[in-house]
Order: sequence, then structure tokens, then C-alpha cells
Amino acid sequence: MTDRNNTLETTDENPADVLLQQLLHLKGYEVPDVARMIKHKQNIMRQVREANGQSRWSLGGLLEVNIPWFFAEPRYGIAALFIAFAALQFWGVSSQKQAHSTTGIYTSESKTAVLDQNITFSAPSISYPKLPDNLELCPDQEGDRGVKFVGRIELKK
Amino acid sequence: MVSNLNSKPEEASEEESGPSDSELVLKSQQGDVRAFDELVERYHGKIYGLTYNMTSNREDAEDLTQEVFMKAFEALPRFQGKSSFYTWIYRIAVNKTINYRKKRNRKRALSLDQFDQDIKTDDVYHELTTKGSPLRNISLSELQEKLNEALQHLSEKHRTVVVMHDMQGIPHDDIAKVVGASVGTVRSRLFYARRQMQTELTEFMK
Repeated sequence: MTDRNNTLETTDENPADVLLQQLLHLKGYEVPDVARMIKHKQNIMRQVREANGQSRWSLGGLLEVNIPWFFAEPRYGIAALFIAFAALQFWGVSSQKQAHSTTGIYTSESKTAVLDQNITFSAPSISYPKLPDNLELCPDQEGDRGVKFVGRIELKK
Repeated sequence: MVSNLNSKPEEASEEESGPSDSELVLKSQQGDVRAFDELVERYHGKIYGLTYNMTSNREDAEDLTQEVFMKAFEALPRFQGKSSFYTWIYRIAVNKTINYRKKRNRKRALSLDQFDQDIKTDDVYHELTTKGSPLRNISLSELQEKLNEALQHLSEKHRTVVVMHDMQGIPHDDIAKVVGASVGTVRSRLFYARRQMQTELTEFMK
């Protein structure tokens, strides 16, 4: 540092000089609104990210930039949390409703269970073995077991 | 406590812990946006203070501060570190402010920040508002307005040196680097600017 540090120091004894230095010193007490400045900084950071091609923000990035502002303006932070909570509640209710309405079988206004015809079923993937043609499974007459044995009996001599 | 808006950048950098400006600049040049965020955090108050005192209009100061940082971010890949980051960004801020006002080419109404309540505990303030002082019958807001008006009546180059030296405490040789003039020229401008302000304020203080 090659120069004077304090703005109030002066080598000139002229009272007008001293007075001017004092007035300029008081100007140092002009301060911007803290919350406004924090928001302003966030805007700059946001613009920098957009300019950098990082327009898609991660949740972590958003929190990192916005958390200081929440602390600077607690009422807005609380309001934002309340809105977020309400939105989550609403989201939860609507998704529950949706889950009920998309089932295949539902209760109609007439209180009878009906099957939604628009449902598509997939074909069973299990393949059963083909039965021989001479095997009758369904009986035609009473007392008939419905099973015929076809074969030849040979007697040994 | 006086706001850090009017503190000298070097002092602030020395006080702050963490990586140096040059490290942050290097990281920013490598694409680390968070490093640039840290530079914004570090210099936002000072650049706002400079543009605010140059324009006496907080909306203009906000616009200009934003433009300065955006310009710095765009130009950062070309920054070779021949000067310090603070000299470099101050140069951008001064040039932007002067061009901004030239473009507008009309006198803007004052839009001033409030005085901090701590002013009432300041010794200088007490001295100026005591019985024998010429300012004893003047309200604080009136004083603020007159002071800013006197500042705005200076030419751009004179106002620049007054703001940087008398309000932000930046030494002559650093101001010379920022404005691209010799130290002698800076001293001369400062002398002339003070005389002009005294003349304006003497009329007011009679």
C-alpha cells in the first residue's frame, strides 16, 4: 500500500477539506437493502449459469443459491415452504385418485361389478401337451367313465 | 459500522479466508461456475458501491453491477492475470458506468439507499450535528441529497477518482491502473474534484 488508508486522514488543514472528508465518510453509511442485494446476487449467479449453458438446474444448485435468501426474508421462506407442502398434499391426493380409476374392474353407478372391456389380456404362455385323439374326456352316457382304453390283449400260448 | 461497499478491495481480500482471487479465476476459467459465484460474492458489494456512488441511483447501480459481472464472466477466458482480478473488474465497472451514462445522455433522478442506523453512533456524525457545526440545522436526508447532487455535478473522470479514493479508499496507483492514467493525473483530478465539491457544498452550508 503506497497511499493513505483512512479516508478521514488528510494532510491538508483546510477546514473545508476536513468537512468534505467528513461528509464523504458519512456517505459510507448509505447501505442497500440486504434482502434486495442477496436476491440481486442470485440473479447474477443464475444468469451466469444460463450463459454457461447450464440452464437445467439441479435441486442442490437451486437450494445452494436460494437458501441465503430464505434466511434473509424468513416470511417468504415460510410461505414458500407452506406452498410446497400444500402442493405435495394435493399431488398425493390426485395420484391416489388416479390409482383407483385405472383398475380393470370397478364399481359402476348401479353398484354392480363390471369388467372394463378395454382391458387387454395377454395370452397364457404355458403350453399344454396334446392329448391323443382316442382319449375321450367327456362322457356321452351315464355310468360311462368317459375313458376308453384302446389296445390289444394277446394270450400267451 | 460502515458498510463494506466503501471498503478497499485489497483489505477485504486479505481478511477473507479461502482460496485467493487468482485461484478462483483459474477455476472459473476451467468452467467451475461455483468459483465464479465466490468471486461474485466477494466483489458484489464493492462493485455495487462503485456504480451506486457513480450514478446516485440504485436501480442503475443494480443493472450496471449485473452487466459488469456478466461481462467479466464472458471475458474471463481472455483474462491473462497481468493485473489483479480486482483491478480488472474495476476497470470493467468504470468503463461500463461511463458508457451507460453517455448512452442515456440525460440526468437521472436520484434514487438513494437509506442511511444505516449506525450512523447515529458515529463520531463524525456527532461532530457535524453539534451546536457549532454549520450542518447542525440540516436533516440527514437533505444532507444526503445535496452530497449526491454535488457528486453528480462532477465530470465522469473526476467523480471516478473521488468515489474510488475518498469513498472506497483505493490508493492512487491502483486507481491509475484502473483508469489508465498516471498517478499524477489521478492526484490532479482528485484535487480539482474536491475543490469543485467544496464550492458546491459551501453554498449549501452557509
